Amino acid sequence: MHNPSIDGARHVPAEDAPAKVCGELRYATDLTRPGLLHACLVLSPHGHADVLDIDATEVLALEGVVGVYSHANAPDTPYCRYRILPGQPGCIDDEALFARTVRCVGDRVAAVVATTRHAARTAALRLPVRFRLKDVLLDAEAALADGAPPIHPGGNLVHEFAHAATCDGVPAGTGITMQSDVATQMLHHAALEPHTCLADWDAAGRLTIWSPCQSVYGVRTVVADLLQLPYSRVRVIKVPMGGSFGGKQEAILEPITAFLAMRSRRPVQLTLDREQCVRATMVRPAQRSHVRTVTSRDGRLLELEVDTLLAAGGYASSSPDYAEAMAKKVTRLYRIGRYRHAGRVAYTNTPVAGGMRGWGAPDIATCVEIHLDRVARVHAINPLELRRRNLVAALDVDPMSGMSVGDARVGDCLERGAQAFGWANRFATEPGSGRYRRGVGLACGAHKNGMYRPDSPDSSSMTLKMNEDGSLDLNATIHEVGAGSLPTLRGIVARVLDVPVGHVSAGEADSETSPFDFGCFGSRMTYVCGAAAHAVANELLGLLRRRAAALLGAEPSTLVPRNGHLHAPDGRALSYGEVVVRSRMADGSDLIVTHTYRARSNPGSYSVQFAGVEVDTLTGLVRVTDMVCTVDIGRALDRTRVEGQCRGAIQAGIGSALCEEVRLDEAGRPASGGFRSYHIVNAADMPPVTVVLVEHEGDDGPFGAKSVGEIAAVPTTAAVVNAVNHALGTSLSTLPLTPERILEALDAEHHP
Amino acid sequence: MNLEFILNGRAVRLEAAADARLIDLLREPLGLTGTKEGCGEGECGACTVLVDDRPVNACLLLVMHVAGRSVVTIEGLGSAAAPSTLQQRFIDLGAAQCGFCTPGMLMSATALLWRNPHPTRDDVREAIAGNLCRCTGYDAIIEAVLAAARDGVAP
Ligand code: FES
Ligand code: FES
Repeated sequence: MHNPSIDGARHVPAEDAPAKVCGELRYATDLTRPGLLHACLVLSPHGHADVLDIDATEVLALEGVVGVYSHANAPDTPYCRYRILPGQPGCIDDEALFARTVRCVGDRVAAVVATTRHAARTAALRLPVRFRLKDVLLDAEAALADGAPPIHPGGNLVHEFAHAATCDGVPAGTGITMQSDVATQMLHHAALEPHTCLADWDAAGRLTIWSPCQSVYGVRTVVADLLQLPYSRVRVIKVPMGGSFGGKQEAILEPITAFLAMRSRRPVQLTLDREQCVRATMVRPAQRSHVRTVTSRDGRLLELEVDTLLAAGGYASSSPDYAEAMAKKVTRLYRIGRYRHAGRVAYTNTPVAGGMRGWGAPDIATCVEIHLDRVARVHAINPLELRRRNLVAALDVDPMSGMSVGDARVGDCLERGAQAFGWANRFATEPGSGRYRRGVGLACGAHKNGMYRPDSPDSSSMTLKMNEDGSLDLNATIHEVGAGSLPTLRGIVARVLDVPVGHVSAGEADSETSPFDFGCFGSRMTYVCGAAAHAVANELLGLLRRRAAALLGAEPSTLVPRNGHLHAPDGRALSYGEVVVRSRMADGSDLIVTHTYRARSNPGSYSVQFAGVEVDTLTGLVRVTDMVCTVDIGRALDRTRVEGQCRGAIQAGIGSALCEEVRLDEAGRPASGGFRSYHIVNAADMPPVTVVLVEHEGDDGPFGAKSVGEIAAVPTTAAVVNAVNHALGTSLSTLPLTPERILEALDAEHHP
Repeated sequence: MNLEFILNGRAVRLEAAADARLIDLLREPLGLTGTKEGCGEGECGACTVLVDDRPVNACLLLVMHVAGRSVVTIEGLGSAAAPSTLQQRFIDLGAAQCGFCTPGMLMSATALLWRNPHPTRDDVREAIAGNLCRCTGYDAIIEAVLAAARDGVAP
């Protein structure tokens, strides 16, 4: 295999960057079609209720209104928005287009279709709906209590599991037992682009959906199954996306928009406002974990047990898999004598929960890392030293998955990060006793590289075609989320074939024309799809060499690709374009290959982060002063992009530590408004972040690269919480650390 | 109402409902979809445009308030074929990831550079404090604004 190296210091802007910065890129909300209709949803104001009747007569008479749909005139087939493949395990079909029984505030009751956005909205606000209220269960514990009224007919327990693993290298023995309870809150993904979808139904009976989604094939499966259409009649086109962070991973608006277009026989656009995005899309689940450890005198983890209770919200969606994912992270990070993780997932009358950036990894890291800081305190060990004694090393086998952690360099992350941060001195510095207290915290995190497991494959198919001028078209199911998947894959192909990146074109996912791929999630873009691009480019190069060798009468393996030419040892050279044209004219052969790449490993990806904070003990406000983010990146293909991923992840992680929360009142209603009541960190509050990349080449990613977008989001929250606890001498573990919670903890300390 | 104002340097005259939001007027009848709506409640800054050179949330402003004034939108700064200096810096430094906050960011930053051609880092952070971004962590954006200021030509 031809395997040149890559220069990560060079930033290759995305092809659409000029259009983006000039306002010329068309996002889904900017698209229009002749005869476009607009839809507006009627959402439940109640957390739990039966929909008794909906009287559409008056609303249908309003100017511009074309149709009103509800359970009374729509299919009620249950489906699972999270499904990608038919028959996929872990998918629970419990949701319908419109609810007969609403199960959370924000559940879909009806939709109005009208000729203008304004008319649709006005009509939706005026649609009379009668409800019969039912008891509301907001808490997973309450939902699972004996005698709790069932939210779905089968009861409130959606899923439960218990996994265990033992690690041979850890000596048995007795030690100190400690327990903590850590609770993380519901989060809004807060992509700046609201949820939106456009669908059209043509005279030939074909549905086309334009969606800023993360899986065109997943959307196709859900929509086609629900509307009983052959898969080939549902075409899903990924359009530019204004951020997702997992919030657009599942088919939320596509099924309903498709249905409305099919019924109206006209194109329909559905865009949510921000308040609707908070209530009626997905939140990161609230979960509570009980963490128990037994540690030896010298700080080795003899036992670690986690008991997780997770609130799925009104529908199961991805919550069962999400909770399971939480159990698969800790043994990739630490050598633990005995690890046990039990989990339960419960229906609750809260907004539907589902995957978010990191997919369980930030949640479990938050629980375990906050707990470990307490352990360090009790053992009087430096928190850094406690991690150092327990971290995995390269080539360890994760006992939970049976897979190698690969060339894991989390230890290097710890040491280099500590140095960049000045950990030793800063940790030894007293927090102070005045109004402002300073503290430092660190946390480690582990995640994955794709979805490969020995018992479940991960693969990606791509087609690469060379044109008569030597330029290339990569046809792959790519979902650009803004992180740079397209330029990254184009860059990989360009590097293998040694052509300028501008000579490689690649479009985005289109279920009608691009080959199958699961989608953009699971930290698989670089490690799996990038490796697929690398492999397809190598296969094309092999073909190119054979054709050129025939033309030159040379041995294929002696031909060297350089600057768009194949060079023979005797000094002769052929441009790629010449090879294509001459082969085509000689015997009609073509330079096109399709390759299905099957992942064969799934090493750990790692990040260790360090935070400095200053806490105002008078107001309870926390200021994060600085952070260091280390990532075991393998190889940074584009350092600018990698740093951008790290900093964006930290913005969200600080928010989840300190201020972000979808807060409900006692009836289950989220606070009104969107960003008015859901605060994300702005530029003024964002601390400087130093990014330290640990580079090496020991795994199967393209040029040695591993994932970054999710892992960078894993330890941030715990690092910030640990810094606050260090500053105040507290053990705060219910998130977010609002000023009220901080003042309460300080109060308890003064008046125990 | 009969509305007259200057849009990206050119006089426009059209019939509009006085209580329509400026963002709707820009995006729909005028087709200037570069101005984005992220929240519709004045909290995210994605809809920022300049009215008489000052950044304003177009989702909160009613069209009657722009009568007789000058409005600049992202389309008034540069084009993909000929970006402004600041836009070029955003491209070079990877300051636009998903790009949805970007037009609003650029409007706030342009207004800053017009009134203060040599801002400090804190000036930039303050100037874009009303523009939320979920992708970048703001650093590349701040660097791009500072780099454009160093370039010294009109943003
Ligand atoms: S859309 Fe105007 S401030 Fe958010
Ligand atoms: S670049 Fe995506 S929100 Fe700023």
